[in-house]
Amino acid sequence: MNPQAFLQLDRVIHEKGRLAIMSMLAAAPELSFTEMRDTLKMTDGNLTTHIRTLQEAGYLSVTKSFQNNRPLTTCSLTAAGKKAFTNYINLLEQIIQQTKPK
Amino acid sequence: MESNWAAEHLQVIRTLMERSALYRRALAPIMIYNGVLGIAGGIVGWVAGIESGRAFIGYWAAVGLTALAGSFVLVRRQALKESEPFWSPPTRRVAQALWPALFVGSIAGLLSLICPTWDFLQPLGLPPFWIVLYGCALTAAGFFMHRGIKLLGWLFILCGCGLMATRCPAAGSFSSLNGHCVMGGVFGGLHLAYGIYLYFTEQSRNET
Repeated sequence: MNPQAFLQLDRVIHEKGRLAIMSMLAAAPELSFTEMRDTLKMTDGNLTTHIRTLQEAGYLSVTKSFQNNRPLTTCSLTAAGKKAFTNYINLLEQIIQQTKPK
Repeated sequence: MESNWAAEHLQVIRTLMERSALYRRALAPIMIYNGVLGIAGGIVGWVAGIESGRAFIGYWAAVGLTALAGSFVLVRRQALKESEPFWSPPTRRVAQALWPALFVGSIAGLLSLICPTWDFLQPLGLPPFWIVLYGCALTAAGFFMHRGIKLLGWLFILCGCGLMATRCPAAGSFSSLNGHCVMGGVFGGLHLAYGIYLYFTEQSRNET
């Protein structure tokens, strides 16, 4: 098997928690912090750390606002995040194709 | 080995993408509210003797609007409580799926109300038509919600079709079913039954 595809996998996305965040955001224009926390069963601290890592990589943008005097934090994928996620999926598909029995 | 790992990753991604697109607010309070309102509406309409076609349609339009407004308040309150946007993408998808069938039902009611000579449907023949349309609306919304909503939609459709059959003279005594009993029994009864079921199962299902 050609290891090239595996080596090209984005290490930022490849981590389980961050991949879950990216997957959810890929299917929705934006999601609130609480929605992601509840769906992924993560602690506030864990989710915050993963979001910060993705934000630093330029894959995710965070918007803080207020809704009826309550803070509302929403996240969405940036253009770079969408591209990185698409590349990641394509690489996974390549790996599957390469290892398929002929 | 790597193939399995990559395929599992893709499966996890797919599941999460599907889950994030689903509407996941608690439905039990909304269903129970609509169930109680429907049954109360049926009893009040029956006891008050609202018999004429136009009064019947106007009365149930008012009950429908009250149900819609109450559901809106309940959904908004849940969104505020959970610090989530009210008009989230899943909410938008569900509203868009519900809209066409509810629109047709509203237009049919409105035409019967403002144009007494409109003979496409008799005013008291409207309940089965509304019930079928509501079932279609729920079935469409079910694509963006938990599977149970689709089943509830099908129950409404089957009830509506059964009621349409009772308008046939061969149905005998069933053909004289009171419109308020039909509306209260079907709309109220099914919502309340599903709401009670969800009340006991929704929490545990969300945790799995």
